[in-house]
Amino acid sequence: MVRLSDLPEYEREHLVGKNMAPLHPPAWVAPVKPLREQRLALITTAGIHPRGAPAFEFADASFRPISTGVALDELVMSHSSVNFDRSGFIEDVNLVFPLDRLRERAAWGKIGSVAEVHYSFMGAGLSPDAFERSASQVAGLLKQDRVDAVFLTPV
Amino acid sequence: MCALGHYLEQAGIATTGISLVRENAEALRPPRSLWVPFPLGRPMGSPHNEGFQHKVMSAALDLLNHEHGPILEDFGEDAPDGTAQDEPVVCPVSFSPSVEDNWHNRLTHEVATLAPWYAMGLERRANRTLFGLSGSPVEDLAGKLGDYLDQDQLPTDNLKWFKRAIDDLKVFYLEALTAQPGHHDSAMVNRTIWHETAFGRALRVFYDGLCERPELKNFARIVLPRAALHGRPEGDQPTEIKP
Repeated sequence: MVRLSDLPEYEREHLVGKNMAPLHPPAWVAPVKPLREQRLALITTAGIHPRGAPAFEFADASFRPISTGVALDELVMSHSSVNFDRSGFIEDVNLVFPLDRLRERAAWGKIGSVAEVHYSFMGAGLSPDAFERSASQVAGLLKQDRVDAVFLTPV
Repeated sequence: MCALGHYLEQAGIATTGISLVRENAEALRPPRSLWVPFPLGRPMGSPHNEGFQHKVMSAALDLLNHEHGPILEDFGEDAPDGTAQDEPVVCPVSFSPSVEDNWHNRLTHEVATLAPWYAMGLERRANRTLFGLSGSPVEDLAGKLGDYLDQDQLPTDNLKWFKRAIDDLKVFYLEALTAQPGHHDSAMVNRTIWHETAFGRALRVFYDGLCERPELKNFARIVLPRAALHGRPEGDQPTEIKP
């Protein structure tokens, strides 16, 4: 169990220091079809990528595509932050990038389908607006893949 | 993470996601967010717990059904710790501080001691490893880091190599110390690495040296975690900083 109130003061201060004002104007896409018909993609900010793809730099707003057919065991992590625990990801990729769970939900008919390509960013060291350009590039790629909605996971 | 949600929605793609720090999501107000009371690094809760991961995913995906937002919901369940009733697996290696030797020998000896455990970890995880982004064998990484310290030098000539090298060594230690099956207390494992190993001491020396250079202070922050700087038990001070 980790809540801010359970953390040491130095950690609390650091995390609260990351509070930012909302981005404007507010954005919202209302649902146009039920979840069981929607095509979903995963996007993580965990700084993961297939082994052999370029690693993330110290501060980096670029993204790495991850094919839906990827062997999960081939995914590695080059996130520059040292302030989160990597031991869970070592044991189970789905803890951070739940592609197997998404595939299972598609097989069960809970969602319509799984995107062909998913994306990974590295969420560290940059202000939110630094991601505007790469996020809009990814949005274009998702639309080409007929993706309706994205499930975002941090680390 | 919150920013990506905003920009994707702005471009017409609906988003939902996990928030690990509720206060950050409250402030930035992403379109749809499920706050979970899990540690940083574990957004889906528990490794190899498919049922629980589905529960988390289901709660987050349900937010896509809402007509109006932004929405920030709480996931009220703590992540189950698979074998919480069991005692955590104890560290398989005893790290003895041999400050007489030089850094090169201390670090290469330490990784040689851990190598069989790393190999066991590889076997248990069906050859999955996060090691290898530096492209060099672990003994070379340890030796080169030791050489910098033995020559009282900072790796300012190759910070990129240095970062990849220490990240590779960190996962090597982590995978070796969690090689055995069973319940691992990640905080305990990390404390062992930072406070009991020659590698942890070496990183503190590098950190101190980097912090003395104003232009490298930010870089120092991606060398040593805050917990390693603040989390030392009382009375557990390093017996030496430099050999």
